[in-house]
Amino acid sequence: MEKKESRSPLQKLGRNRRLRQEACAQRERLYRLAWSWCHDQHLAEDLVQETLAKGLSNLDRLRDETRLVVWLTRIMANLYRDQFRRKREETGHELEPISEETPEQAADRSLLVQLTREAIASLNEDHRQIITLVDLSGFSYTDTAQILDVPIGTVMSRLSRARKRLREELEKAQITSASVVVPMRKPS
Amino acid sequence: MSSTDDIDINAYVDGELTPEERLEVLDALRKDPELAREVCELNNLKSQLELAYAQPPGLSGRSAVRKRPAWLTLAASVLALAVGVTGGWFAGVNDRAGDRLVVLDPQGRGQAPATAESDETRIVFHITTPDQLAAGELLDEVETMLQAYQRDGRNLRVEFVSNGDGLDFLRQGLSQHQERIHQLAESYRNLTFVACKNTIDRLQVEQGIEINVLPDAEVIESGVSHVVERQKEGWAYIRV
Repeated sequence: MEKKESRSPLQKLGRNRRLRQEACAQRERLYRLAWSWCHDQHLAEDLVQETLAKGLSNLDRLRDETRLVVWLTRIMANLYRDQFRRKREETGHELEPISEETPEQAADRSLLVQLTREAIASLNEDHRQIITLVDLSGFSYTDTAQILDVPIGTVMSRLSRARKRLREELEKAQITSASVVVPMRKPS
Repeated sequence: MSSTDDIDINAYVDGELTPEERLEVLDALRKDPELAREVCELNNLKSQLELAYAQPPGLSGRSAVRKRPAWLTLAASVLALAVGVTGGWFAGVNDRAGDRLVVLDPQGRGQAPATAESDETRIVFHITTPDQLAAGELLDEVETMLQAYQRDGRNLRVEFVSNGDGLDFLRQGLSQHQERIHQLAESYRNLTFVACKNTIDRLQVEQGIEINVLPDAEVIESGVSHVVERQKEGWAYIRV
């Protein structure tokens, strides 16, 4: 997937221009996924920005153009794991779901959305990533295995456990929030 | 259920099985209602997740999902601006109130003018039926009426308020009149389509899917409260 191929300079220019456009068109999709991982607007924006910067400067290494989205997502997953996780450990910054929203924004959001985001945020990173890759971004098991660099069997068993855990969290949340009309988490 | 079963069911829901394996699971689902319920719940979970991250903070414009109006603001506007109108319109009798009307959309979208014209006829059609054929016939009648009033230079305001079983009339993918509604909303500024947020929220929770209404529809908190307010303001009320 990342082997270099020989092309004429003109072919290469045209190909890279086309791929750049396609990569930039993925910005919104990547951001949605990044935000679901970190629940932080600035971190998600940085993550997408770095992903695109790295991807665009390494387009020559993408052999199969139809795999552009998987390739970019793999870059983003690696960046998230290596850089952002380390940063969070160093700074002690903890995941704070929907912490950036004002109370007005939170009130405008349905209870179901809020509870789901909180339940996702409460999962461990492996579970959160696999469930969002498959359910939010719609990647196949094969693509997900490639993005996370794990065997497909691991994808299947991890996904099954992640969903089980998520359902437990949702059940718990819905029970505990039953007496609250619009539960909101204020900015910390 | 063993963990292998769990994995198979997850793979089934994700469309990752071969046709032969799918048939096996389908066979098992027919025999085991508990397993069928499990599949249903997993499907709901997938839709729920999609809904939860359709519009994360910081994602600007052009989203696949239409940003909902700030319904709390709308509800406040309704309460703040609604002025009781005496001498309402009944069966073809024009009221002459000329009072301020409710602003449906503070951002200026939609078709509702902020101030009523004098000599205005005002009718609210409350769509509660899933019968879209009837709703289609009603659109025909209303268009004829709008044309006649326009031709004669008379003022008319019409609202369609959909809630409960009638929400399908304004739902994306389910409305049989999407094009027609768009064309009418574009042509007549005095015509407004309104969807009930309470119904939308209830369906989202019950069905675990995102409910999208037509781009031409405004969303208000409660369809029932809205039609009650309209009646208080003297609008003719017709339930369909």
